[in-house]
This record gives sequence, structure tokens and C-alpha cells, in this order.
Amino acid sequence: MDILANLAIGFGVALSPYTLFLAVCGCFLGTIIGALPGLGPSNGVAILIPITFTLGLDATSALVLMTSVYYGAMYGGRISSILLNIPGDEPALMTTLDGYPMAKAGRAGDALVLSGVASFVGALLATIGLMLLAPSLARVAFLFGPAEYFALYLLAFCTLGGMASNNQAKAALAACIGLGIAMIGVDSSSGLPRLTGGNLHLYDGIDFLVAIVGLFAIAEIFFFIESHGKGSSIGVKLGKVTIPWKDIMATRWTMLRASGVGFIAGILPGAGASLGSFLAYMTEKSIAGPKGGFGTGVPKGIAAPEAGNNSAAGGALVPMLTLGVPGSGTTAVLLALLMTLNITPGPTLFSERPEVVWGLIASLLIANFVLLAMNVPMVKIFVKILMVPAWVLLPGVTMISFVGIYSLSGSYFDLLLMIGFGVLGYFLRKLDVPTVPVILGILLGGKMEDALRRAMTLSDGDPMYLFSSPIAIGFWIAAIAGFVAPMFLRGVLKKPEKHPTDGPVD
Amino acid sequence: MTKRLAGALITSAVLTFGAAGASTAAECIAPANPGGGWDFTCRQIGKIMYDIGAVDKPVQVTNMPGAGGGLAFGNVVNERSDDADLIVAASTATTTRLAQNAYAGMTADQVRFVGAIGADPGVIVVAADSEYQSLGDLVEAIKADPGSVAFAGGSAVGGFDHMKPLMVLKEGGFTDITKVKYIGVDGGADAITQTVGGFTQAMTGDMSEVVSFLANGDIRVIAVLTDERVPGFEDIPTAKEQGYDVVAVNWRGLYVPKDISDAQFDEWAGKLQQVADSPEWAQAMADNGLAPFTKVGGDFQSYIDGLVADIAGLSKELGVTQ
Amino acid sequence: MASDRIFGLITLITAVAYIAAATQIQTNFFSGEFLPKLFPLMIGAVAALCSLSIIFKPDPDPAWPQPPTWVSMAIAVVVLAFYAVLLTPLGFILPTVFAAGILSYQISPRIKPAILSGIGLSLGLFVLFKYALGLGNIVAYRIPTAAKLWDAIAILIPFVGGH
Repeated sequence: MDILANLAIGFGVALSPYTLFLAVCGCFLGTIIGALPGLGPSNGVAILIPITFTLGLDATSALVLMTSVYYGAMYGGRISSILLNIPGDEPALMTTLDGYPMAKAGRAGDALVLSGVASFVGALLATIGLMLLAPSLARVAFLFGPAEYFALYLLAFCTLGGMASNNQAKAALAACIGLGIAMIGVDSSSGLPRLTGGNLHLYDGIDFLVAIVGLFAIAEIFFFIESHGKGSSIGVKLGKVTIPWKDIMATRWTMLRASGVGFIAGILPGAGASLGSFLAYMTEKSIAGPKGGFGTGVPKGIAAPEAGNNSAAGGALVPMLTLGVPGSGTTAVLLALLMTLNITPGPTLFSERPEVVWGLIASLLIANFVLLAMNVPMVKIFVKILMVPAWVLLPGVTMISFVGIYSLSGSYFDLLLMIGFGVLGYFLRKLDVPTVPVILGILLGGKMEDALRRAMTLSDGDPMYLFSSPIAIGFWIAAIAGFVAPMFLRGVLKKPEKHPTDGPVD
Repeated sequence: MTKRLAGALITSAVLTFGAAGASTAAECIAPANPGGGWDFTCRQIGKIMYDIGAVDKPVQVTNMPGAGGGLAFGNVVNERSDDADLIVAASTATTTRLAQNAYAGMTADQVRFVGAIGADPGVIVVAADSEYQSLGDLVEAIKADPGSVAFAGGSAVGGFDHMKPLMVLKEGGFTDITKVKYIGVDGGADAITQTVGGFTQAMTGDMSEVVSFLANGDIRVIAVLTDERVPGFEDIPTAKEQGYDVVAVNWRGLYVPKDISDAQFDEWAGKLQQVADSPEWAQAMADNGLAPFTKVGGDFQSYIDGLVADIAGLSKELGVTQ
Repeated sequence: MASDRIFGLITLITAVAYIAAATQIQTNFFSGEFLPKLFPLMIGAVAALCSLSIIFKPDPDPAWPQPPTWVSMAIAVVVLAFYAVLLTPLGFILPTVFAAGILSYQISPRIKPAILSGIGLSLGLFVLFKYALGLGNIVAYRIPTAAKLWDAIAILIPFVGGH
């Protein structure tokens, strides 16, 4: 009852025709920003912060606008993942694995609607979780020290083995490439450059957006030059966009489980939305087993990562609001917004500023419903992208990528680096080396190393410290099982080997 | 349908025109992630400057974390040394790193320090259920077994948060400082999380970082590193009264690029003074556990020069630098 | 078979070079002697093991494109590289017309549609970025001095063939 009363306060603060109007604008703008390669939720929210001042918005309206853009961008990221195999931003990475094959099979509309529903379920459940459990869940962060985080990251990389490739060594190598790239730049503890070869441009490290856009968008160009667009999603005959009730019903448990996994990953300040969607996908993949067909364009392969990443985004608000520790790049920007509004998140925020917290929760709910309502009509527009001929669409996507990356730093260096990643991506995919682990490596490498170094400092270099708690041991067991099991299972099941020789590799 | 789309497009265009206009406004670089002291400085000073009319457009805050502020410092020195619309948040941590030559050879005279308008008292914190009741308990425990206590702090190893316990220990007669365990995490809130979680035994940071956790009863502040007890927190003992004569406050201020004109420098100094004198800033300080500390303009530059020399000497003495 | 073996060999050499570079990482008092090297060394070691595994258990060869396609792709790389360095001195519109046009031609080799898509994309995207998304550092055009143009192109010289 308390919660309902609080929620009533929240809606009282956040719901008005004006804020609804802002929510619609924010969701629309966010979806567009999320869909453009190179621009993601963090950019969207960061670009919009000055606007809230220019428009003279009060704290609540600003929050509604920001959360709408935030959720809109989370929604939007999947659009280019599904249609073009180019993730709009990093949480949408996993959606490419099954979304793009579905689009190639002419089911782009179904895939988009399904991912929209899954996003809605994930975000809604996470918001409910935030309402019911936030103060007590904040305590979970206290259970995670350096050893636990290290084991968690290791788990993520170990489960990569069975992914998108028949050869585990290739998946592991891909992860190493990403981790190795993540080490480049100024070392935070010594202030000295590492592995930069003396190149000043590398002192800040390599932005993962440069890698994502290069490995996916630019590499795609080379595949189109090779195949002249044959065998891609573009120009595939599309059915009428309807609501795929059958798929939605069939994936209902997947969505629920994935939301749970994502939410827990989101609560951990060191994990964030990408890890949430990744773990949700891998969990569902292992539940479905080799017969589940993950990676070939199955609805569950879309529902899981989308529910997972949206739920993780909601979960990430828990440590941000209750501890002031941002769990992801985007919550960091939201935290900054709160601080600008003179609200300092911390353990007392829920009791001292209930109108802020419940106003935020109410605006999250509003954004969610607005997005769901906008979703089906917008899908009808987005699938039209596939009717644009490849010789216009692909150069267009490339130019958008260039501008997106150029806007990060205004430097030619990132652009050249991106082209380099494009060439690398072409060869990796030709050789059946998955590119998703490369991105995960770049995203998580720095954090994983920090965890290891802190663990070594606390334990005076004793490696046994890494196995010093039940949580850490649990992750280690899961990690080893996750790495070894596919090898073993593959031998037992004698899965027919997929030859990458038939036609262009996707 | 199409009409609604067009409407939304126009709105978003209007919204973004606003952004394009604002992008020519002054920019404040916070050389760390959101949520820390530098971020607070940029956001509060930027917001108050706009609210009181010292600037006519909102100040845009850019977070540029990396190398304990070194990344932002290098960016300002190398790429934007004549940008008159740029201010950068600074604090004792900035001068500490400069004094220790931790910004890859860059020095304090490569930028101009505008002023400081508040100070954040240093604190030593333990979890609420910790066995250590006083600073004395903690120091004695480290003397008996240096490995038994690990500190977490928001600054990198060798930074100001790391120096605080080292200065206290030196006062307590413990000199083997390489044995003291310290991990640098991503900001004060994270350091508290690690300490409340029991992964580290104590947290070293600033008052502003711990206020909310203190109110919630998660932590115990065993010492504040000021001359006098801090107004509003009278029940927290100073290190001095516990027999460790250590004063370490983290001033909050700004620096600007070196090659701007004197007139432009004076303009920023004037704006900062306006903020310092405003009731809004007084309120922000009270809310966040800051103590008054105002030095602006040439006065501040000489304070900085003295401070850099002091810390350089202290670092050598403590063995942090050769 | 051969493709994977060559790939494995390249990554093995890279991994060994990475390990060698990791042992040379500078350290100081703050970071400790060994910690900054630890994780890079671990990554290098795992990468080397993976490379060996790929060399000894290679997958079947993929279908590589024909020589003319390689030429097309090489041209695309060169065009994109020029685009990257010329974006700053020349602004957005002119380089985009050429880059988008040439890419379009390589995907579908017809002159007129390629020219049209180059011009259309250039103007359309400029309007989108400048006015709808407010990305301030996109500039329509600049008239550079010969020296600036040369500076920009000179950036590419150590990069040519470097990919």
C-alpha cells in the first residue's frame, strides 16, 4: 500500500499533459539517436542536458525528458542491429545475433515488434523491481569486492566459447584481441602510457564506439562490395507488419528469466547493461540447448538480450540512486543530471527526497508505456529502410558512422582507426572469428584489470584471494563449466559442422 | 500518423536548436566521472554562475576522467591553451599530482589557477560495525600488523586520498609506508561501498563524499582532518585532538588555460568571486559538508605555489616520490 | 586450412610481440613494479595459446573473393582513408559527395545512380546532422590552403598499406 501511495505521489509530480508531450518527444528523439550507429544513450542524454536548461525545465520535467531519451535510445539501438547487422549502441550488440538472421528471412517487422515488446517487459519488470526492492537491493553492491568482480567478468568471457563460432579458440582469441586493445592508453595508477607505441592519440585509449562501428558498419561495406548486396537483408520481401502474438507468447518465459538475469547484472555497479544482455542471452542459449537454434534467427534469441539489456538499465538505477555509484555510462550521465538539479543520490535519498525518487520511477513508467504505444507504428516506418537500395543505404550508413565517430573527438585519428577495425572485422568474419567478444573485451577489459589489480593489492599478491568468497567460487565454477561444457557437449552430440564456405559469411 | 511524426520531428529540431545554441557557451571540464568532487565543483559553480547571471548561457559540463586528472590537464595544456571559454575544476588533488610530477612532466605553471571557494575537510571512515572506534585504534592496529588494514579511496595510488592516512601514520610514528595497503577505486561512493562491504577496513576521502552514508548510519567517521571541528558535524573529532596533528582539506576551485589574456582571467576571477559571495553557494556548501575557504585571483596563485612546494617536500619525506 | 594457419601464425606473432611490449611497460612507485604488466601478460599468453590451437586445429578455408573484388575493396579503403583526413580541412559536403558516390558505384556499378546518391546523401545527411541533431563540429565546407591540404594528406603516407 505504501508503494501505491508513493507511486501516486510520483505520478502526481510527473504526469501532466506537458510532461507527456515531453515524453513523446524524448522517446522519439531517443529512438533516432539510439538507432544511429555511433550515437548511444549516453550521447543522447549528454546532448540533451543543456537543452533542459535552455528550455528552463523544472527538475521533474527534466527528469521525464531525460528518462524518455534514455529508454528511447535503449529501444532504438536494436533497430539497426536487426535491420542491418550494425548495433546502434553497445547494449544492442547481442541483438544482432538472431535479429539480423530473422530480417534476412523476411521477418524484420516481427523481429522489431518482438524486440519492442521484450524491451517493454524488461524495462517494466526492472522498474517494478526498483520500486519494491531498491533500498534492500542496494546491499547487494556491498557483497561485491575485487575478487567477485574479477570472477564475474571471467564468467562472461568463458561463456563466450560456445558463441557464434564452432571453434572455441577463435572466440577466446577474439576476446583476447578486445582485452588487449582495452589495455592501451594511460595507466590510471602510474599516470604513464602503456602499449601506445608513443602515439599521443592513443593516450586516452581506444573508444569502444570506434571499434563497434568499425567492426560492424565499416566491415559491412566490404561484404557488400564482395557480394553486391546478395544474401543480405536489403530488398528481402517483407510481409505486412503485424503483431506476432505467437512469438510473444512463445517467448514469455524467456522474457521473464532474461529480465531477472539482466536486473541482477544491472544492480552490480561494475556490470551494466551490456553484460546484462550478454548474460541473459547466454543463459537462454544454454537453457534451450543446441536444438534451440540460437544464432540462426529464433525469436528467443531476440527476446532474451532485449529484455536483458532494458532490465539491466533499470537495475543500474538501484546503485545509482541508493549509493551514488553509477553502474553504467548512461546512469553516470543521469547521476550528473541529478547533481545538476542539486539532488545528491545516496542511501538517504529514498527517505529524504521521496518526490524525486518516485517522480523518477513514475517517469520511467511513463516513458515505457509511451514507447510501447509508439513502437508498432514506428516499426512500419523503420522496415521501409530495407526497401532503400543497397547502393544508397550502405554509403549512407557509412557516412553516418563517420560523422558519429567524428563527433566524439573531431579527430581524423579515430576515423582511420575505425577503417582499420573495418578491415579487421572483414577478415575476422571471413575466418569465422566472432566479433562480439572483441567488443566485450574492449568494454570490460579495463574494469576486469582494475578488479584484478585491487585484489592483488589487498591480498599482497596471493592468487588464492580470487577464490576467497562463496560468490567468487560460484562464478569460477560457472565460468569453468561454461567454457568446458560446450567442448564436451560438442563431442557427444556431434553437431553437424557448419561450413563457412557456402557463400558470404554473415 | 505522418502528421504526428512531423510534429515530433519539428519538436526535436526545436529542442536541438537549443542545444546548438548552448554549445557555444562556457565549458567546465570535470576531470573525473560524474559523482565526485570535481564533478560537483563544475556542476555547482556552473549552475550558480548561470542562476546569478554571471554568465548568460548555462555552463556546459564535460566529464573527462583519466590519469587522476592528468588527461584533462594535458588536453588543456596541449590543445586548448588559448580557449577563453574554458574552466576546469581543480582541487588539492590537482596540486598533489602536479607536485609529485604525476602528470607526465606537466607543471603547475602551464595553466592559471583562478581561485578556490570552499574546502572539503578530509576524513578517515570505517564501517559502522568496525572494531576501530578511534583514529588511535586504527593507527595502533597498523603498527602491530600493517597488512591488517587496507584503505580504499577515490583517488589513484599516491593521490591526495592516499596521502591522508600516510600523513596520519607518520604523525603516529609509523614510517614503513610502503607496507600500507591502499586501493584507488572509482570515486568516494565506491570506496565507501568497498569499506562497508568489508573488502577494505577503512575509507579515506572528503566530508562531502560521506555525508549521505553517515546520515544513513552505514559508517563511522573516526577523524576529520581540520584544525577545528566542522560546523554541522560537531560530534566528529578532529585528528588533531586525538593527538595526530594532520590538517588536510581539499579546496574546491578552478583553473583556466594559460594563454588567455589578463582581462579574460580577471573576468573569470570576478565571476568566481560572485559565486563565492552568493547565498546559493553558502547553501550548497552547507548541504555538502564544505567549509568556507575563499581565495581568488593572484592571491590564490601564490597559495598554489606554496602548496605545490609543500606537497613536493612532503611526498619526498614520506617516500612517495624520490 | 591454409587460411586459418596463416591467421594463427599472424596472431601468434602479434601475441608474442604484445607480451614483449608488456614486459617493457613503464612503472613507478604509484603503480608498483609488476601490477601494470600482469594483466597484459595474461592476455598475451592466452592469445598465444589460442593461436597455437588454431594453427594445429584449423577450420576449412572460407571462399575468398576474386582478384577484381580485392581491388574494389582496396579502393574502398583508400577512399575512406582520404575521406577521414579530408573531412577536417574541406568540411562535410564535398568529401562526402565523392566518398558516398564511389562507394555506391562499387556496390552497384552504374554511374548515374552513384552520382545521384553521392550528392543526395551528402546534402541530406548534412541537414540531418547539422540541424536535426545539432552536432556542432560538422561544417558544410571550408576552403583550405594548399599547405593545410597537404598536411592532411601527408597523415596518410605512413598509413598507406599499413592496414
